[in-house]
Amino acid sequence: MNGQNEEELKGLLKKLLNSPEAEEAIEDVRKGERILSEHPVPELYKQVIGNIKAEIARAILCKKAAAFKRTAYKAVAVAAAVILLAAIGVKLFEKGDGEPGKIVTASIIPEVIWESGHLVADDAELATLTAEIEEIESEILDVKLGKNGGNGSAELAELEMELAEINSYFWEG
Amino acid sequence: MKMVESDSLAQIVIGCKRGDASCFSQLVDIYASRGYGYFYRLTGSSDVSDDLLSELFVKLVEKINSYKGGSFEGWLFRVASNVFHDYLRDKQRQERLLKSQKRRIESKAPDDKVSESERIDKLQEQLGKLDADIRELIILRFYSQVSFKEIAAMRSEPIGTTLSKLHRGLKKLRELMEQKL
Repeated sequence: MNGQNEEELKGLLKKLLNSPEAEEAIEDVRKGERILSEHPVPELYKQVIGNIKAEIARAILCKKAAAFKRTAYKAVAVAAAVILLAAIGVKLFEKGDGEPGKIVTASIIPEVIWESGHLVADDAELATLTAEIEEIESEILDVKLGKNGGNGSAELAELEMELAEINSYFWEG
Repeated sequence: MKMVESDSLAQIVIGCKRGDASCFSQLVDIYASRGYGYFYRLTGSSDVSDDLLSELFVKLVEKINSYKGGSFEGWLFRVASNVFHDYLRDKQRQERLLKSQKRRIESKAPDDKVSESERIDKLQEQLGKLDADIRELIILRFYSQVSFKEIAAMRSEPIGTTLSKLHRGLKKLRELMEQKL
């Protein structure tokens, strides 16, 4: 028993037992451990030590090889994932025979209302109709203000009819 | 028993964690004889103790990174205790498997049995008469030299129980040895 352990043993036994009992217990432990010291085990052969050291060297190599394999497998898995993603990316961008993809445009009027199917042309027509309506509106205003000096009410009725016609044409498409 | 300064032991352990074979070699030099004594007193066989000692140090290579500080001796002998219990389990399994052939094996090797018993020294014989748990405690305490607190923690029992078992065990061992003499 080393000094530190003996001190610990004394301290613990004195806490648990009263003083004479603690002293007796310490003496029992001391004597018991002396028996163990007086009966050493057979000597360990140097050959055994040498074999153990060789075994350790092999175990270290195996451990390092296993760690390297793990790292290599991880790197291969990451590389495979990158290649797969790149391939998917290329497939997505390179559709069909390599022609550029169609440009999708949207009308300023929703398709459900317009129901035309030719949105570019429809937009042009819409612009024309809008311009015509604006022009008629300005003419109506002129007539109301009596700017052109003609038969105001007849012209007004004619223009209003024209406007109604354009309007219905607009909704027919 | 070979003892080592805690600072230099810490350096050796750091080297072991890096996978330095020379540091493991130093650990073998420091702990081989205590480890061998521990296994020998538990098994009573030099050959088995050699094997278990080798297994212990190979286990250390595998598990050194799980040592997170504290008493290195405590940790090392905990691994040693696990190695011994694994050996016991294997032995029991083998014994069960060979049970049907037991008589035949014994009748074929009577000389081996005699020579084995002859090799066992007096102390070994008396240790064999103690309860297995107490025997293991006495041997662990003597060869590991770790504190009672650590031993109690390793065995998951109150320190008072550990102390009481050790005291009773050593007293009984002394009585047995005196009777024999």
